[in-house]
Amino acid sequence: MRKFSVDMMPAMLHVTHRWANWLANTGLSGWLQNEAWVVPTSQSIHIASVSVVFCCAVMISLRLLGLSASGRSVSQLVDTLVPWMYRALAVLLLTGVVQTIAEPVRQFVTPVFWWKMLMILCVLALTVWFARAVRRNAAQWDTAARPVGAKWFALTSLCLWVGIIFCGRFIGYTWELYL
Amino acid sequence: MIPADFLLAVEHTPLAMAMRGELGGEWLFPIVETLHVISLAMVFGSIVMMDLRLVGVASRNSAVSKLSHEVLPYTWGAFLCAIVTGTLLFISKAHVYFFNLQFQLKFLCMFLAGVNMLVFHLGTYRHVREWDERHRPPSAARLAGALSITLWVGVIFFGRWIGFTT
Repeated sequence: MRKFSVDMMPAMLHVTHRWANWLANTGLSGWLQNEAWVVPTSQSIHIASVSVVFCCAVMISLRLLGLSASGRSVSQLVDTLVPWMYRALAVLLLTGVVQTIAEPVRQFVTPVFWWKMLMILCVLALTVWFARAVRRNAAQWDTAARPVGAKWFALTSLCLWVGIIFCGRFIGYTWELYL
Repeated sequence: MIPADFLLAVEHTPLAMAMRGELGGEWLFPIVETLHVISLAMVFGSIVMMDLRLVGVASRNSAVSKLSHEVLPYTWGAFLCAIVTGTLLFISKAHVYFFNLQFQLKFLCMFLAGVNMLVFHLGTYRHVREWDERHRPPSAARLAGALSITLWVGVIFFGRWIGFTT
């Protein structure tokens, strides 16, 4: 098997370009493209939802790093905030799918979109793992002697979320470079 | 009304030229814009957290005043960053944004959200001790929370629409 290399990028983007063209020619995509209000509305809901997820992630991470004045324990924060993160993520998925069907070429041709998807998968897996670990062993996470992984989780998820927002905004600025 | 001459003068400052990419860095605008998105995400996220508590939907096990002390530093810190990044974006095309309807509506929403906050803090919130722990705060507080969410959603909508109309 060939090792993945940067040289393969153009070939991969060629494939994703074909998917994009197929999707752009479907009836549903055609309808969404003709309704000028759909994309801005969907993007606005997308931004409102990412705000909820991002704010929760920042508050939990700063708590784990010992940088916040929260009177709540880690397990209390997780119990309160993580369900709201999952709800907002569901809205993000829905609006993201709408935007992708409406503008498939814009999304699929730029590698920035695929980096974003990769980072989302990573941060999702991390968050689910973290929330479960806290629920299983709340007592240990609520003491000062938290697992060593706590600080690494906090830093990694912060970086991933900032990266995701950067990529999200940069899809719109890079896609025309790949046409 | 700010005269158009002033807005045009602002657009000719070196900082505004840099923001338009005329001094080389064509990625400056998208980078500042992304920092603006990150700031507004913290502003909106933290405000909604507080508002949902006031409406009686979320964080009901936290006292309102405690949650307020925990959340408001994030709101104000992020709001400061949003003002700085927002000003940088604005000066790049000051006269275009200033006369843009969506831009004006965004600021109207923010102004009304500010008035709503002020009324709430000078009114119902002064007696917060009486209803601090209640899962369902008094109707004036719930109304303030609902209004705040609506107005800030308006800020996000009109903000996003600026990009489609300028």
